[in-house]
Amino acid sequence: MSHEPVSKPTTDRSGEMNWDHYLKSYYEKPQSGRTWSGYELKEIYTPQDRVAENYTSDVGDAGEFPFTRGIHRNMFRGRFWTRREVVGIGSPADTHERAAFCFEHGGTGLNTIADVTYEMGLDPDHPWAWQEVGLTGVNISSMKDMEILVGDIPLDKVSWSLITASTAAAPTMAQYVAVAEQKGYDIAGLRGSVQNDPIHFRYCGFRPACPLDLSIKLGCDVMEFCTRNMPKWYYTTVNMYDLREQGITAPQEVGFGFGIAMCYIDELIRRGLAIDEFAPRFTFYVSCHVDFFEEIAKIRAARRMWARLMKEKYGARDPRSMQFRFAVHTAGCSLIPQQPLNNIVRIAYQAMSAVLGGVQSLHCCSYDEPMCLPTEKGHLQALRIQQILAYETGVTNVADPLGGSYFIESLTDKIEAEAREVMHEVETLGGMEEAINSEWLDRRFETEAVKRQKEVDNGEKLVVGVNIFTSEPETVTPLGVQRISEQSAQKQIQDVIELKRTRDQGRLHEAIKRLRDDASQGGNTIPAMIRATKAHATTAELLGTVREVYGYQYDPMGIIESPFK
Amino acid sequence: MGTDKIKVIVSKVGLDGHDRGAKVVASLLKERGMEVVYLGMYQTPEGIIKAAVDEDADVIGLSYLSGEHLVYTPKIVDEMKRYGLDDVLLIVGGSFPPEDIEVMKRMGVDEVFRGGSLTSSIITYITENVR
Repeated sequence: MSHEPVSKPTTDRSGEMNWDHYLKSYYEKPQSGRTWSGYELKEIYTPQDRVAENYTSDVGDAGEFPFTRGIHRNMFRGRFWTRREVVGIGSPADTHERAAFCFEHGGTGLNTIADVTYEMGLDPDHPWAWQEVGLTGVNISSMKDMEILVGDIPLDKVSWSLITASTAAAPTMAQYVAVAEQKGYDIAGLRGSVQNDPIHFRYCGFRPACPLDLSIKLGCDVMEFCTRNMPKWYYTTVNMYDLREQGITAPQEVGFGFGIAMCYIDELIRRGLAIDEFAPRFTFYVSCHVDFFEEIAKIRAARRMWARLMKEKYGARDPRSMQFRFAVHTAGCSLIPQQPLNNIVRIAYQAMSAVLGGVQSLHCCSYDEPMCLPTEKGHLQALRIQQILAYETGVTNVADPLGGSYFIESLTDKIEAEAREVMHEVETLGGMEEAINSEWLDRRFETEAVKRQKEVDNGEKLVVGVNIFTSEPETVTPLGVQRISEQSAQKQIQDVIELKRTRDQGRLHEAIKRLRDDASQGGNTIPAMIRATKAHATTAELLGTVREVYGYQYDPMGIIESPFK
Repeated sequence: MGTDKIKVIVSKVGLDGHDRGAKVVASLLKERGMEVVYLGMYQTPEGIIKAAVDEDADVIGLSYLSGEHLVYTPKIVDEMKRYGLDDVLLIVGGSFPPEDIEVMKRMGVDEVFRGGSLTSSIITYITENVR
């Protein structure tokens, strides 16, 4: 199909107004009644669409099973969502400074993100790393780096979200705990989360750092350690957002995300943990894409599915185990560089759908996302979107304000049914691990991504500034460009070289041996990682040591040999 | 020149793992009759140029998303010069500030397509400019 939107500006540059075009625009109607994920909708939904509904068992009040309408009865009347902007830039000191800036301007949670080198488990002095240190986040290679990142932030008061998703989440937890203990905190009182979802991260370009068995092993080591020692800590945020950014649909996001979550849950149960012991601290990262109602319905469907999955499949009895807790990241892939200021509008709609969906914690993209890391002004603007939502629009007054809408309830049902289909399809293949190992999931992501591009190419999906209402692209980034300081990167490299030269080798080798022994005996590696971190072992050394035990090369990039032979 | 004869190398450089764009472009160029060699992630400038020489490619397409475009592009241009690949089109796609488009063109990039580019614009550019 070739679509030429009738409202595409056709006036020529001489300014000659085309009145036929005006008439066409005046009478133009939406070209389709489909959602972003492709559902054909009716013109109107009525009580006839809800005849089979049993309110108590199928929907329920907010705070009641199956939690379709929210996990708390009073939702935002009890507490606003956490306003948590993702920060990660240059060195630990640079990142600390920007995080402090967000706090000063009304951010209510910290959210620091690892750079590609850290996620890959490389120290800054690695030949593949030195050119990219700090470009997309912060590299933490040692306890000293973590000390700088933490700075004067009170760890027992502030809720900190550590975004390390790969197997490097295990060193991240070790580094965080080591610093907290050194500062005298009781780790049982620490509040926050670590992303720790290595399985999904193989689809974000980190396959060498995330072989499936090691992803489950180290991911669950973190989950198990936190469950036993840090009861207030959210030990994973299964990242459905990143999956969605690959180009999949709303129900696929839920279906594949739950499939990955179940890989971890099955392993934790195999290790002897009871579902109600750990499930209350299981969390998700969800996308809010550009189709307003579909995203709200998706969130409601996910909440209901999670509650039933926990209760029916895993036998949970504690209602907290059945509550789908989630943060939202507005959809980075929906933003465009051609008309950058319009991204603010997309982000605001997406953020509103997150809030109407009952979000616990929200990151709004900055409008400059398709061009560079957020500038300070970009971060501030994104925070302001959240604050306008929270303080001006009135969307916080009532729990699940769209609940009971014939349309929203029907769409919720539809997405749940479709997401169940997706999960069933994965089960038929032999389960999620098989779907991953056979690369079925890779092929699925690729097929869907190509479909999405074709939909934009042929005008089936309209994007203002891309295939409709285009204009000469802006040549200057409004409010400036964020650049990464080369000095910061150089300092990171020098610091880790210096650390490796000056630390106590005897203590280090002893600690690494302990880590290798624990890993070889199948024990939880986190206590030994904490000990090794305190002996100034680096991220790459912690991961490399465990990798070797599991039969992988010490270095994910296959260049460096273990210094502990 | 007919599109059936055009050979395109599509690659990422360095550690950045955002490969959705590169894969989609590779797939759509193939669908439109071009011969595509998709190198994937973790490529070095030297490796990409070696592939371009070995494959006798007409076009090199690089995809960036993590701010590494100004680090690797000059190295790739240098390698192209070293191997005398003057007749190979160098195209860059991905996410970067508009300010850097001219910078990369001055370095030696022939054309730049950011996110939000339609496939037809890439196809048209390649077919009209391939040397």
